[in-house]
Amino acid sequence: MAGLVKLSKFALKISNKNSLGLVFRSASHWNKDWKPSPFPETQAEREAAAKKYGIPVEQYQPYPDDGTGNGDYPKLADISTERKDPYYPYDYPEVRRNFGDAMHVDTDLYSEDRHNNTPQRYSITFMLCCFLGLMTVSASIFIFLEDYKMFRPILPKQLPGKGKVHYTFSPVD
Amino acid sequence: MGNGITLALKPEVTPSPNQESQFDPLYGFPNGRKERVMIATEEEMISAKLPLENRDYCAHLAIKFQQCRKEVWPWAWKCAPEKHEYLSCQYEDWILRMKEYERERRLMERKERIRKRKEKQGE
Repeated sequence: MAGLVKLSKFALKISNKNSLGLVFRSASHWNKDWKPSPFPETQAEREAAAKKYGIPVEQYQPYPDDGTGNGDYPKLADISTERKDPYYPYDYPEVRRNFGDAMHVDTDLYSEDRHNNTPQRYSITFMLCCFLGLMTVSASIFIFLEDYKMFRPILPKQLPGKGKVHYTFSPVD
Repeated sequence: MGNGITLALKPEVTPSPNQESQFDPLYGFPNGRKERVMIATEEEMISAKLPLENRDYCAHLAIKFQQCRKEVWPWAWKCAPEKHEYLSCQYEDWILRMKEYERERRLMERKERIRKRKEKQGE
């Protein structure tokens, strides 16, 4: 056993790859099979790519070939998981996805616990105006009422000090 | 709340809770008034590290109460009589301030009455 460990450590030193990679599958690392094919130039290549990703040819559209390395990966609509219909009978309802559906390039960004790009009911300007309007009105009322505070009908506390004389209400004997 | 509205609408006959009396404290007392007696000395209060807002006419009871708590701690309920004594003193102080406020209010109304009468006579 000790010899095996030593051997594996030695193998790690002599190669920059994981020496146990032959035995164990790396579930977290990059895999050459996940690499997209080169950018489709001809119509035949486009059709092949569309078939590979399970998308109709007329809907298939790759990312521009600008060196980002997306290759023939399809450009899908930016729809976050939360934006999808929750009542549709998906194969995987927890991620709102069907078997074989092509995944978005930024699918980790659009998962349900991350970004939600559902259109809002009101515009951000309207919401900002509502917020500022409410705060302005509240602050105005607050500032106006600063001079009209309620109080209990008593005079200030009588604190003794040098030269100060306070009186009770009982007469001197 | 009513006091705040009254002070805003009729400031001439409503005393402010933040201002001392503007009248002679002995006015209207033919037999005079007893002076309030401060029992705790300043040295005692400094020695007891009594907060400034507690250095009123009940300070000697506050010191007594704190001293008792320190002696019997953690059996703080044993100081219930001292606490009652101190809080009763504070209650009496509060009543006195209420009476002073009412006296101030009546004197202000009297002053206003006199002013109006003089105005009428001047016409």
